[in-house]
Amino acid sequence: MRSIGHILKTYWRQFVSVTGNELRNIFTDAGVLLVVVLAIFIYTTIYSCAYGTQVLRNVPLGVVDMCKTPESRALINTFSSGPNTVVAYEPASMAEAEEMFFARKIYGIVYIPSDYSKNLYGGMQANVSLYLDGSYLLMYRQAFQELVAGIGTTGAMVEVQRLISKGTNAQITKSTVQPIIYQTHNMFNPYLGYGSFVMPAIIIVIIQQTLLIGIGMLGGTWREHGLYDKLRPAGERRMATLPIVLGKATAYAMIYTVTLLIILNVLYRIFGFPMNGRTADIIAFMIPYLLACIFLSIAVSTLFRSRESSLLLLLWTSIPILLLSGASYPREAIPDWLYAMGKIFPSSSGVEGFIRLQTMGASYIEVLPQIRILWILTIIYAGLACIGIHVITTGNLSEQIKARVKMRMATLKNKIEVQQ
Amino acid sequence: MFVFFHNMLAVFRRELGHMVHHRMYRMLTIVLPVISFAFFAVLFDNGAINKLPVAILDEDHTPLSRKLSMMIGEAPGVLRAYDIGDMAEGERLMHEGKISGIVQIPDNFESDIYGNEQTHVDAYISGTNISVNGMLSKDIQTTVQTFAAGIQLTKLQAAGLTAYQAMAQVMPIRFSKHVISNPYLNYGYYLAPIFMLMMLMIFTVLTTIYAIGRELRYSTAGEWIATGGGSITASLLGKTLPITFIMTILAQVMFVIMFRSVGAPLNGSYWVLLAGVELFIISYQAIAVFIITVLGNLRLGLSIGGGYSVLAFTFSGLTFPIMAMYPIMQAASKIFPFTYFTEIFIDQAMRGAPSVYSIKPLICMAVFIVLPMMVMPRLRKIATDSKYWGKL
Repeated sequence: MRSIGHILKTYWRQFVSVTGNELRNIFTDAGVLLVVVLAIFIYTTIYSCAYGTQVLRNVPLGVVDMCKTPESRALINTFSSGPNTVVAYEPASMAEAEEMFFARKIYGIVYIPSDYSKNLYGGMQANVSLYLDGSYLLMYRQAFQELVAGIGTTGAMVEVQRLISKGTNAQITKSTVQPIIYQTHNMFNPYLGYGSFVMPAIIIVIIQQTLLIGIGMLGGTWREHGLYDKLRPAGERRMATLPIVLGKATAYAMIYTVTLLIILNVLYRIFGFPMNGRTADIIAFMIPYLLACIFLSIAVSTLFRSRESSLLLLLWTSIPILLLSGASYPREAIPDWLYAMGKIFPSSSGVEGFIRLQTMGASYIEVLPQIRILWILTIIYAGLACIGIHVITTGNLSEQIKARVKMRMATLKNKIEVQQ
Repeated sequence: MFVFFHNMLAVFRRELGHMVHHRMYRMLTIVLPVISFAFFAVLFDNGAINKLPVAILDEDHTPLSRKLSMMIGEAPGVLRAYDIGDMAEGERLMHEGKISGIVQIPDNFESDIYGNEQTHVDAYISGTNISVNGMLSKDIQTTVQTFAAGIQLTKLQAAGLTAYQAMAQVMPIRFSKHVISNPYLNYGYYLAPIFMLMMLMIFTVLTTIYAIGRELRYSTAGEWIATGGGSITASLLGKTLPITFIMTILAQVMFVIMFRSVGAPLNGSYWVLLAGVELFIISYQAIAVFIITVLGNLRLGLSIGGGYSVLAFTFSGLTFPIMAMYPIMQAASKIFPFTYFTEIFIDQAMRGAPSVYSIKPLICMAVFIVLPMMVMPRLRKIATDSKYWGKL
């Protein structure tokens, strides 16, 4: 019987050799380096640049003005006065406007009828028709908001004139025209920046996906090259499971700690994403997130036979997994059972918790449910990783048992022969 | 010419053999694409968004403030989830992810209104999801405006105006809204098809790179070219065409799911869409051939090809429009056939644009076919010289 001290010593030696070997492999293999170290920087930078302007401004509109009076002109001017839209063309007819719409010169059409001024002066209601493009929702939103605001202010001015001409005093006029001043305050992302909205989720998902593909690549390589056998300490029948799992996990934890430090401190500042979280809270949150992702990846990696398998089989999952997190596509729109099922990925709780901590400035206590799920996932996936690694290092179980039985039989036979 | 076709067919047959016998091919060309299509069909099943939870902070506690609270709770997209006592409580609920907005009705709300003083209502809406923010802002604003208009009407009628005069006074300019293409503003209608196309594209690129790259990696490239009678063109076509066929069939499956199961509109020409998806597949195969030929290494080819594929969605401008991007990013959007196909899809499926508007994007996609032609000499070199083989 070996002493515990001896076991600990060989475990430590194996742990160190696995960690070292994994790090060496990552940095000497261009394919793995690209996925595990560089991909996250390349992707986050490209995406952040694509969303760099953050907001959509100056959506071009067309106005068909059949009235052509100072009043209709005043209305048209309000559509260009805000930041969101600009009247780019004034087509002569709806047919011409439609052509411009199909040619993507304009993304919305306003039709002002010929009786516009007449109705305004006659104390009646004037009608204006809006034709908006529903195929680009952000364009639709900007155009609709600006048009409604323009029509609203113009209408209010008409209202004021009508009341004052009747001799109403200023105080009553004001409270009649606008009894309630309504204001919307956009919290956490005041200018509704697209990057600030979508990048935190993308970053969290990329961490998980690059780990899945990267660890899968090296797992496939280890298997192809029989590395599990080469690293076996002399005198051992096989490598112990725990040092392999912990050794690999440590290597990736080290790399991703550095990566995250750079992303959260440099990238976040360069692109001005919201940073309302407390450092200690974010660290306490990221530890279970990284561990859950790493152990999940190690567990999955034991399924791959060759190094290209992980990328071929897992690349496509990035988009479904991002959508399942409920951050970009609202969770209120996802079927409940599918959203619940998505919780098996660390990224789902990871994205939700991270956005609340970092974008909204919530406290550790307020994201406790997510942190709890991440720790549970860590434990489950660590267990699965151990089982997976154990199975591939021990090889085919049934064959081993057969070999063992054969050996025993042979020794037994020998003994009997010797005795005889 | 006959010899060429004979050679090409020989490679074609060899490729079909691979597809039948290799598990990875079956995964990439049938199993995973179909799973991914099904996923998006299910994900966007609801199409529209459920009611969004908000909290109401009523500091006035009067019949009028209660009426406004009730109206907000009855707005189409709003779920009045909590009535709170102070802002701190609202902030906590927001941090816990339980609400997306807070509406604050101030003290003196009712007395101000009856006393001919202006009052105010404030909405605090989370900006962490701009779609959610957009819908909540619109619904709450419309409700408050309707409520205010009601007050105005009452006051004006009390002052002796008829109902029609009062209405014309409250809203001198009326507008009628028409949403062209996608009148229900349904997310699923346009996101589900576009994501399915992303999947079709990712599997086209990966399968094409894998089919060529594995000949290099497993040192069977010599055998491949020999089957093609030494002709690189015949060998390349024989290898890529089976993938083109399978992806074309997959595209049909995709269209059936899109237009029948998801129920996306098809307002334009199905034939233009069909021509578009064919060029889409071929242009991405061309890019894949280019990438693996230039890199000459399966794994690196897959990493670069995969990375390139995944970027396409962002640059298609579907969610964040291209015209809002920096000029250099606008230029970058042109190196993705996906951008052109998105345009064709929007035009034909959603907008019902005349076919002539789709000619330009069709030609742009066709241009990518030049790429493999440029690297044919290199493909000959790496496919015939064994020193390029067996690399990991």
